[in-house]
Amino acid sequence: MSNPLRDMEHPDLIFCIGTNMTECHPVAATRLKKAIANGAKMIVADPREIQLAKMADLHLPIRVGSDVALLLAMAHVIAREGLIDQDFIDARTSGVGEFLEHLKEFTPEWASEICEVPAADLEKAGILYGQGTPSAIYYTLGITEHISGVDNVQSLCNLALMTGNLGLEGGGINPMRGQNNIQGAGDCGAVPANFPGFQPCDDPASARKFSKAYGIEIEAQKGITKVTALNQAASAEGGIHAMIIDGENTVISDPDMKHCEHALKSLDHLVVIDLFLTETAQLADVVFPATAFAETDGVQTNTERRVQRLRAAVPPPGEAKPDWWIISQIAQRIGTPGFEFESAKDVFNELCSLSPIYAGLDWDRIENSEYSWPVPDKDHPGTPRLHEKEFKNGRGLFKVIGYRDPAEVIDDEFPVWLTTGRRLESYHTRTQTGRSAGIDYLLSEESLEIHPADAEAWDMADGEIIRMSSRRGEIQIKIRTTDRSPQGTVFTSFSFASVPVNILTGSGYDPVTETAELKVCAVKLEKF
Amino acid sequence: MTDQEIIDQWKDQDAPLLPVLHAFHDRDDYLSEEAIRVISTGLKIPLAELFGTITFYHHFSRSKNGKATPRVCTGNVCRLNGGKEMLEALKSEGATPMPCSGRCDDMVPVLHGDQVLVGSDANSLDHRATPLPAPNPGGSEECVFRHIRAEGRHTLAGYRASGGYLGLEQAVQGSPEALVEIITDSKLAGRGGAGFPTGVKWKAVAEAAGNPKSIVCNADEGEPGCFKDRAIMDHDPHALLEGMILAAFATGAHRGFIYLRYEYPETQGILQQAIDEAHAANLMGDNILGKTGFHFSLKIVRGAGAYICGEEGSLLNSMEGKHPFPRNRPPFPVTHGFEDLPTVVNNVETLASASHIARKGAQWYQGLGLGDHTGTKVISLSGDIQRPGNYEVPFGFPLATLLHDWAGGPRDGRTIQAVTMAGLSGGFLAGDDLEVTLDEPCIRGKGSFLGAGGIIVFDDSRDMVQAAHDAMAFFAHESCGKCFPCRIGTQRLTERLNDSGGDLALGDWKDEVEDIGSVMKATSACGLGMAAPLVTESLLRYFPDAIETHLSCR
Amino acid sequence: MNQLAEEIRVGTLTLDGEPVDFREGETIYEVSERCRREVPTLCYDPRLEAFGACRLCVVEVEGIRNPVASCTTKATEGMVVRTRTKTLEKHRKTLLELVASENRDTKVDELSGYASQEMNDLLVRYDARTGRFGGKRSGTSNSKDKNPFILRDYDNCISCYRCVRVCAEQEGDHAINIMNRGFDTQIITEFNNDLRDSSCTFCGQCVQTCPTGALTDKKAIRAKDTPGEIKKTRSVCTYCGVGCSVDILTKGDRVVGIHPAMDGPANEGALCIKGQFAFDFVHHPDRLSKPLIKQEDGTFKEAEWDEALQKAADGFLKVREKYGNHAVYGVASGRAPHEAAYTMQKFIRAGFGTNYIDNCSRA
Repeated sequence: MSNPLRDMEHPDLIFCIGTNMTECHPVAATRLKKAIANGAKMIVADPREIQLAKMADLHLPIRVGSDVALLLAMAHVIAREGLIDQDFIDARTSGVGEFLEHLKEFTPEWASEICEVPAADLEKAGILYGQGTPSAIYYTLGITEHISGVDNVQSLCNLALMTGNLGLEGGGINPMRGQNNIQGAGDCGAVPANFPGFQPCDDPASARKFSKAYGIEIEAQKGITKVTALNQAASAEGGIHAMIIDGENTVISDPDMKHCEHALKSLDHLVVIDLFLTETAQLADVVFPATAFAETDGVQTNTERRVQRLRAAVPPPGEAKPDWWIISQIAQRIGTPGFEFESAKDVFNELCSLSPIYAGLDWDRIENSEYSWPVPDKDHPGTPRLHEKEFKNGRGLFKVIGYRDPAEVIDDEFPVWLTTGRRLESYHTRTQTGRSAGIDYLLSEESLEIHPADAEAWDMADGEIIRMSSRRGEIQIKIRTTDRSPQGTVFTSFSFASVPVNILTGSGYDPVTETAELKVCAVKLEKF
Repeated sequence: MTDQEIIDQWKDQDAPLLPVLHAFHDRDDYLSEEAIRVISTGLKIPLAELFGTITFYHHFSRSKNGKATPRVCTGNVCRLNGGKEMLEALKSEGATPMPCSGRCDDMVPVLHGDQVLVGSDANSLDHRATPLPAPNPGGSEECVFRHIRAEGRHTLAGYRASGGYLGLEQAVQGSPEALVEIITDSKLAGRGGAGFPTGVKWKAVAEAAGNPKSIVCNADEGEPGCFKDRAIMDHDPHALLEGMILAAFATGAHRGFIYLRYEYPETQGILQQAIDEAHAANLMGDNILGKTGFHFSLKIVRGAGAYICGEEGSLLNSMEGKHPFPRNRPPFPVTHGFEDLPTVVNNVETLASASHIARKGAQWYQGLGLGDHTGTKVISLSGDIQRPGNYEVPFGFPLATLLHDWAGGPRDGRTIQAVTMAGLSGGFLAGDDLEVTLDEPCIRGKGSFLGAGGIIVFDDSRDMVQAAHDAMAFFAHESCGKCFPCRIGTQRLTERLNDSGGDLALGDWKDEVEDIGSVMKATSACGLGMAAPLVTESLLRYFPDAIETHLSCR
Repeated sequence: MNQLAEEIRVGTLTLDGEPVDFREGETIYEVSERCRREVPTLCYDPRLEAFGACRLCVVEVEGIRNPVASCTTKATEGMVVRTRTKTLEKHRKTLLELVASENRDTKVDELSGYASQEMNDLLVRYDARTGRFGGKRSGTSNSKDKNPFILRDYDNCISCYRCVRVCAEQEGDHAINIMNRGFDTQIITEFNNDLRDSSCTFCGQCVQTCPTGALTDKKAIRAKDTPGEIKKTRSVCTYCGVGCSVDILTKGDRVVGIHPAMDGPANEGALCIKGQFAFDFVHHPDRLSKPLIKQEDGTFKEAEWDEALQKAADGFLKVREKYGNHAVYGVASGRAPHEAAYTMQKFIRAGFGTNYIDNCSRA
């Protein structure tokens, strides 16, 4: 997030797109509710009538995957209505001329055809966002899990740049990070493009720095993503032959389940570290028992870049060990130096010594969770709000972006849009929530949400078990009729292994990030 | 009307919730679950909150045909006059009791849908118009009742025939400040009981920042033993309207509301007709009396049975569709009233007085009081008295003269044992203290207060512990439940007056009653809780023997 | 405590004889808290709008006839305030005795909820006689609601409405409200249904703000009879990216419950159903407790650490030998702490010299 969580109580205009915040980030959503109670207005763009949509002043039930068209039209309206912040643009951005020229053809009428939302509502959205003082954008995976994920994010940046909504209390562009330490995994350099602290792998100086620190020549080029790695593992030519997976139930949570399963089975060697013998762990050659929440000392970074301490309160079951210890032990056994860590503190302090954004931090300084990175030195108070006076990389760059259809669009054979997501009561693949008492009372099984009119047209009844298939496979699922789903689009979550919806997904990947288009998939529904 | 038509009619208007609830309640004869869901969505009120708020009101029925079932007044005066027997007789029709419904000058009232019937028993029930105040036997000059007995006074023509709206016409010739000055000089103060100087209130609203401002008439006359506002509204509605229009002129308010208690359905019709007439005559609406920019429109908001809604914070919350708890003060309504904007909240009698004062002047009004006292007060007299009814007395008037000379004294063969003050809120006066004069300094000197001017008479045939119990039971029934001392205190005091609080020795009984009373008076959040213990306090003061007898007869 | 920096000071009042500065908008209660006056209260929760129901926090202000509720009264310049006169203390004791008289129990287990001891603590502090003011009890326990998280024992409710207010103001769910009035007040959902059928999201906020244990954490209270002291450990919830601070409640080696951290920077006391109630997977019998090695027949056998670690290492060595460094790939967890992700990326970079490392953020 560019802004701290507490800023969520202060926008004048809230624009939520591709985020089901009341279910996926309920505590963050309470802050938006407070802002609304204090008079803030809200636009919600989401195909479904989620809880946020019910609270909104304007709900835009856009067709899945049409976000860029919506955002182009909003930008068009903002420019046309003279709602741009010329001072901000002049002082802090570049590329506005070409961008404004580009916008001219993308009228609300044009976008209305693609988004399947009335042009008047798109018009209204542009005006509301453009008039907010400030306006804040919140998004989650509904923006990024598309083949146009990067385009979507950059389109949002364009909106914020043209209206000067960055660096302000209650403004900003705020991705809500999904998993508890997904931000931290990136901070720590567990990505193919960056060393710890987002130091680029293809920057020779950074590569030299880490080569020196780790005592081995590290190649100065980006690695491959997990998606590519799995493709390589699955392919006849091979490429990847061994994997170590920590705490991820890849088989259930990743797209195109059959492909994924095949890839993992093709490996010569698979090591999995987890709390439970998950569907993924079952494919491993060796499985290590890890310590869980309440058993582990450590650090995690939240969605507002706040670096926080986790503390162990009870001993782990049996011989379970912290992940860092297990990985370090394997590393030592393959002869890698530099893994003589004795505590989580040792590991974290080494990270701080190598990461400029953590340079001002160490284990003892984060005792009270008061720092948001970057914290470049020990006298720095941390950075709860980014971009206040200037952008890290100089000027904010407008990007010229055009609309593309999703990788897969509905046709005669697969005439229904499927979109996936999460539910309040479940976390991911339910390895934890599914094993906590009482959760089943509220949500004991998965179902497919279908608009009642669709169900009637397709001769399906609430509670009926049907067959849903895509180009990649088929599953059986019980249907639930609800007005939450728009006509022609169905929804389910990926949480239940008994309804492995990711058998169907995996139609395409963003060309830059290789993030899967989990939010769009063409399916057909059939009665048994 | 369809659900949607009802919602659409009100949803963009001020204070929509109560009118919408009444529209469904009237249409369906109850508030169905489905209706409540429709309203929640239509007015964007969370369902649980809406449901909770509905349950706060006594008269909203949630079972089929509930609205039509008779409600019998078993109020503190009607109990003396056969209210409970009436309830018993009508049980077969599903009758339920209701607290004092403001007809204590008549026989027992029964609310049948939107009609009030009165009678001494179930067979004699009949519709009867509100009694006119009897002419003043002492010949003392009146203000509020000055022309109320004039033929056709409730019509615009009749009102005008006896000088109505002349005060307004005079006022708009001058400035709002000049009008405020007249009202201030007259020393008119709130006649609903609180006694706040009216001119000061108007001035504060005129000067307060924030628009639109509102004039709210508190016509939720819920105090047992009070029925004066009903007489004014039924027989002299234009006097109230004129007072509100004057207040609007003085303060710059453009919208007005009359918050009318549920139990006065006929009054609503009379007021609405008067409002329509006033509109047609350009006494309301835009550019009133040709004065550019002087706009004022008025609507009636009907309550639904909750005594606490007579408390101005509760009243404003009720109008706004919120749970009708009193508000924390400060801030006061003059700056943060309806919708948190500057608001005048005045009682019916106050506003009606203002229209007379505007015409006849401050000096005239001041001169109506006795001695150092200024102005008049309408007293609603009921209970064990020969001629119950409304009497307008000059401030400083002896209570005994009112009781014996004007109202004929007790029933034959009886003597007056005690009277209540301020309806029930002032507790009892008895013995030598019946010699008070009717003005706040004198009555407050006796540990009571005059308040809205309701006086209930108890003759020597009455059990005063029972009377105190019935009074406390009323307060317990009407306590909103927000502040601890009142919510628990009214309940525990009631239990101590009917022996359901355990077997206490006299000393412990007194200790508990006194401790509860003292904490209620000192710490309650609004007037209800502060006033309720005056009942037990005065019982202990005047009738210690009765308590002892009562406790020993358990 | 008594003095404030010039830039935030807007005035000075006299508190129990001492001059005390106050900030813009500060109430007498807030000033008194800052100066550690320990003014008692039962309806106050610093996260909520002041309500003024319990009246325990009344103080005397010179020039005002009746005591005023300090929580709803703003500090003003020159105000002379007394927080602890004999009369006030007597009123407070009477109020506490009245409140105690409407409940079945005044002492409840600490595991009931974060604020559950507040009433009993005050009864003890004021030596309030719990047998006084006999009569009807208020509130009826809701035993028909079988939800597994929140016990609704309204026999012990004192109608402070903190639950209703926290649900509306803090959580924005508006799931519960107040039915009826006066002594008959009852906390209900719409139409008095079960919580499951309302807009309740089982965030547990009502439980944690309840000062009497009328609302009790059903999962935590299961450990009521487990021997041992309750220990609290500050940590962070691991269920999403918001990063809510929590206190993990333990008895011996068992996690018995979770309290939201009222001073948690991300959540300021808020939690959701997962953070509040989904903690017991930690002790689930399915947890792995030994390393596992896959055997020829495809089944797993439990192994000692040495053997399993060696087997894991050998596999990577073999692959590296056969296919080179680019044949090994690491996937770090977005759910494990930094130390896991950091060692994982170092494992790949320092072990194989590549950047063949990713995490689960792409799915």
